[in-house]
Amino acid sequence: MRVVIAEDLALLRDGLSRLLRDNGFDVVAAVRDGDALVHAVQLEQPDIAIVDIRLPPTFRDEGLRAALELRERRPETAILVVSQYVEPTYATELLADGRGGIGYLLKDRIMEVAEFVDAVKRVADGGTALDAEVVAQLFSRRRDDGPLEQLTPREREVLGLMAEGRSNAGIADELVLTVGSVEKHIANIFMKLRLPPSGTDHRRVLAVLTYLQQAPSDD
Amino acid sequence: METYAAVLYYLAELLLGTAGFALLIAAWSATLALSYTPLVVPLLIGLLFGVAGLAHAEAGLARSLLGAPVRPARPATSGGFWQRGFRVLKARAFWKQQAHLLIAWPIALVPLALLSVALELVSLPIWYRWTDSSDVFGLFDVDTFVESLPLALVGLAGLVAIAHFLGPWTALSRRLAVGLLAADGKARSPRELRVLRLRSLTVGAVTATAVAILLVVTWALTNQGYFWPIWPLLSLALVVAIPGWVVLVLEHPLPRRLAGGSTWLAIQVGISVLITAFLVGVWAASTQGYFWPIWPALGLALADAVAAAVVFAHHQHRIEALETSRAGAVDAQETELRRIERDLHDGAQARLVALGMSLGMAEQHVGSDPEKVRELIAEARLGATEALAELRDLARGIHPPILTDRGLEAAVRALLIHSPITVSLSVDVPERPPAAVETATYFTVSEALANAIKHAGANRVEIRIAAVDGRLLAEVTDNGRGGADPAGSGLRGIRQRIEALDGTLRISSPEGGPTTVRAELSCAS
Repeated sequence: MRVVIAEDLALLRDGLSRLLRDNGFDVVAAVRDGDALVHAVQLEQPDIAIVDIRLPPTFRDEGLRAALELRERRPETAILVVSQYVEPTYATELLADGRGGIGYLLKDRIMEVAEFVDAVKRVADGGTALDAEVVAQLFSRRRDDGPLEQLTPREREVLGLMAEGRSNAGIADELVLTVGSVEKHIANIFMKLRLPPSGTDHRRVLAVLTYLQQAPSDD
Repeated sequence: METYAAVLYYLAELLLGTAGFALLIAAWSATLALSYTPLVVPLLIGLLFGVAGLAHAEAGLARSLLGAPVRPARPATSGGFWQRGFRVLKARAFWKQQAHLLIAWPIALVPLALLSVALELVSLPIWYRWTDSSDVFGLFDVDTFVESLPLALVGLAGLVAIAHFLGPWTALSRRLAVGLLAADGKARSPRELRVLRLRSLTVGAVTATAVAILLVVTWALTNQGYFWPIWPLLSLALVVAIPGWVVLVLEHPLPRRLAGGSTWLAIQVGISVLITAFLVGVWAASTQGYFWPIWPALGLALADAVAAAVVFAHHQHRIEALETSRAGAVDAQETELRRIERDLHDGAQARLVALGMSLGMAEQHVGSDPEKVRELIAEARLGATEALAELRDLARGIHPPILTDRGLEAAVRALLIHSPITVSLSVDVPERPPAAVETATYFTVSEALANAIKHAGANRVEIRIAAVDGRLLAEVTDNGRGGADPAGSGLRGIRQRIEALDGTLRISSPEGGPTTVRAELSCAS
């Protein structure tokens, strides 16, 4: 699997390259700013690009902007955005075009190597990976009358993992359940949240996010 | 029905207009008489509110009796002492409202006068007997009932005519009310104003020069002799020089800097000098002799000295206030730095030490106890994750990343994602303000929102952020129980932040609510 990395700190850039190579990835380019990333992706045509949000020259959201540009210019390349902090706003922007092959994770997650490698593969295969912290922030907006309150604690757990981008089997593993009962929980969640049932994994994530992201002032 | 409403409107307008006219004459005489003293500012502001009050009443009448869609502009004054007076004069609504006050009552007078004549004629058969003959408008000689009847018929026809004519007439009144009383649609940008100012000055100067040349040529072509054009030339020079000076002060920083940063003082001193020069010119052109211009010149100099004293006293006061708030800000910063140092020491640093110890122990056991090594490394990784989380929280408290990345609106919207209550947000900030202003505003909104949820028990919050005239205003209003303590640590910290940037923070929180927190900061800093 061919990977391009965009990260401005040499320490992290080299560390990430080594970690990915050790796990059988082919790191074809490691660059340090947004323009170089766009150039490298068009040149190398990798399966996935791993992008830091804060890049030179402004050290604002350069990486995010480059990622959004790549989504348009080269949709075949999956994008995994990594950052020292997560913002639900950015998650919405990354997921806005409704296609899979997108991820947004805290850099902390790289330390859990097996899970991180798993997430890279999942995103490269057209799935999604959304950091548990983003999901938690979205869930923290609870209102007494919200439909979220109708979910059982178990259903909330399932919804959280689903929002992170896990597959039914992955959710079943995490919660020590059978795949069948996970499917039943998911059907219940969609019914209670009045969301149309949908097939692929990232469609489910989108449905959940659309629901969670409704601006607080809209109702 | 509409006819009666219209007649009622005109009656009320007549009363209001007369009162307003008297007020305007009196207030403007006082204002002009005191225009060289600092008293002019409170007078102008008083006048602004008086005019606005009358306009409000007029708009109310037009709305309820004529059905005109009028919402009058609200008077607004802000800024420093002299600025306030100056802004009153610049407010277009102020001048338009006065225009309406002056125009509306002659317009009311026309239908009312016609109506009273017609009513007089109609009722003539009743009251003719109490008048001397030949007394009806001094035109008609009515002595008997029969003689009065044709005139009564004329009056009746007049009433019908008035009823018809009243329709278009009230349409005119309605349009006047909408045009002159309603709030301004679009304000001119500073750039447009500048162009407009320079253009009118040029036109004035060119016209004056043309007139001057014409006068001198006329004099030269006629019998010459006494150089009479000196009089119109002197007046023309004054008329061009005063606006010229005003534009110069507005366009170039130097005169303003010499006047201690006060535009108004620079204008006033310049005008005094010009008037004195004009009077000396008049003296020189006339019989000369006794140097009478010394007296008005002394008077003007005295007025300037008083104004300058006021400006500099105001400056001194502001410097002291800034010094106090600066000291407070330094204190607040010192406390904040100590808190960050302690958080780092007890949190992330301690975790990194523990992490290092775990790794050291793992190193010792490599080869001898693989299971123990695995356990220690897992521990170390957990420690690193926790250290990162703590550092992230710390950084967010100092400066939220999204504020750097995207600015105020995105950062405040991100705050609302966590809000458990309904919040309406309006942001009108076309350009990003300086970073310090953005940060202070963000933390003000964040603190006010947190208080509304935690302490006031509010379930609705309204946040408005707008850039107006180079100032950034942020206002947070909740429907909670009020009684917020401005001396509490949260609000005190915010106040210190705002005042360190020479801004103002106002908190209104009566027992029982609602609470309004309003911050105002200059974007120029």
